Amino acid sequence: MPHPSRQYSDNDLRESRLVFYKEDIQQIDSTLREFLSRSKSQAALLVDKDGHLITQEGSADMTETDVDTISALVAGCFAATREMARILGEEEFTALFHQGRKDNLQLTLVGQRTILAVLFDDSTTIGMVRLYAAEAARKLTSLFRKILSRGETGHGENELADFEQAAAGTLDDVFGM
Amino acid sequence: MVQINFANKEIQCKVVYYGPGMSGKTTNLEVVHKKAPPTSKGELTSIATEGDRTLFFDFMPLDLGNIAGIKTKFQLYTVPGQVYYNSTRKLVLQGVDGVVFVADSQAEKIEENIEAMENLRANLKEYGRDLHSIPIIVQFNKRDLPTAMTCEELNEKLNPMGAPTFEAVAATGEGVFPTLKALASLVLESINRDKKGGMASATAAPAKAAAAPGAPRKMPTAPKPMPAPAADGAPAAPRPVRPAAPAAPQTVRPAASAATATASRPTGGTKTVKRPARNAEPARRPEAGVRPMGKVNIKERKDASSMMLWVIVSTVILGAGAFLAWKFNLIG
Repeated sequence: MPHPSRQYSDNDLRESRLVFYKEDIQQIDSTLREFLSRSKSQAALLVDKDGHLITQEGSADMTETDVDTISALVAGCFAATREMARILGEEEFTALFHQGRKDNLQLTLVGQRTILAVLFDDSTTIGMVRLYAAEAARKLTSLFRKILSRGETGHGENELADFEQAAAGTLDDVFGM
Repeated sequence: MVQINFANKEIQCKVVYYGPGMSGKTTNLEVVHKKAPPTSKGELTSIATEGDRTLFFDFMPLDLGNIAGIKTKFQLYTVPGQVYYNSTRKLVLQGVDGVVFVADSQAEKIEENIEAMENLRANLKEYGRDLHSIPIIVQFNKRDLPTAMTCEELNEKLNPMGAPTFEAVAATGEGVFPTLKALASLVLESINRDKKGGMASATAAPAKAAAAPGAPRKMPTAPKPMPAPAADGAPAAPRPVRPAAPAAPQTVRPAASAATATASRPTGGTKTVKRPARNAEPARRPEAGVRPMGKVNIKERKDASSMMLWVIVSTVILGAGAFLAWKFNLIG
């Protein structure tokens, strides 16, 4: 059964791969900042369902690798609850809440492919966070819709030009061969 | 799926170690964690049982540094190998960019290996992917064991797709890095290959070229509208199975009710709860009005007993009043 790689890259990947440009991220960041100031939360992470961080705003006591790990775990959490929802006959649980003694984490689904993770403490309330998170999710979804309808901007076309050649050398460095 | 972020000049890829139970997937990851340059690796996070068997996944971020000016990150996952955990195994595969299949070379494990490969094929298929198109490396692990089958035999049984294979003894670290390096190389190639394919057709179909999140073909409103007569918060005994994607009216909830919808899902089957999201105290009362059907009896019993109490109290008060009135000759 022939499976040419062209078929894979043209059809599958392009439709599902996530590409963000600078102006997209700026708009997302500004939405997140507004959300943080209104809900009085500490930090917001926008994570895709595959566990990759898209962008973050606010201040939390986390290193970059902590953020990567949190992103993976957030996506894992959501994936697990989605499976539970499916078994229960629900389409999807759109929000999750993790309560701590001082810090709490609220996860809200944004569109179909991203999750907004909000870290907040007792200086605000879960109700406030939920209210504004739903509002932010709506704004972000419409933003994503705009990005899609705008189509290819042409930015970044050359960004990956030397990627393949440079990749081989970097792999040697990292893996020591 | 590969995420390309031109704003941060960053590419993120997801790699999954797959294979039967006890074949050495977590060991592979532990070796990578131990030996990778400290600047490149993050913490190894494991969601495991008390017996140290992987329950959900192990995870480790690996930073390859700048490649042609683009920060390249790999996120390495393992899946639980036991047959029992297929649902979680499938979840980890979501959006995978490359797979290392870790096979146990021992002759007595060949059936488990074949079963795991079949399982990988089936789970990939659910995401619309297949073994032939995804970057994959097959690692023959535990080569040092006396009952290890030959590589040719293993290749014949486990690798009909002709993927690159590597021999390894993960316990000693042998073969772990060559495997990962080869896979990383395949994944990075696929990014570039796709970029060429994607960009070439971008002009023809610009709307599809920059696939943005939350904007798939079928665009949902956000948050996803919940079907009004949802009976899932606290279900009544025999629960009707609803279709997976209910044809709910595509209405956008007002922010307040959308935000609280998850806190107090409509439970009565026909009632929707609309209340401000302010604080929990006053909110609790309306919830009492939408108790699930299964608990109605308990509630009624409570109501009945409080009613009885009121009747007794009012009888006593009335009686006392009548007695006093009689005592002071107010009534005949």
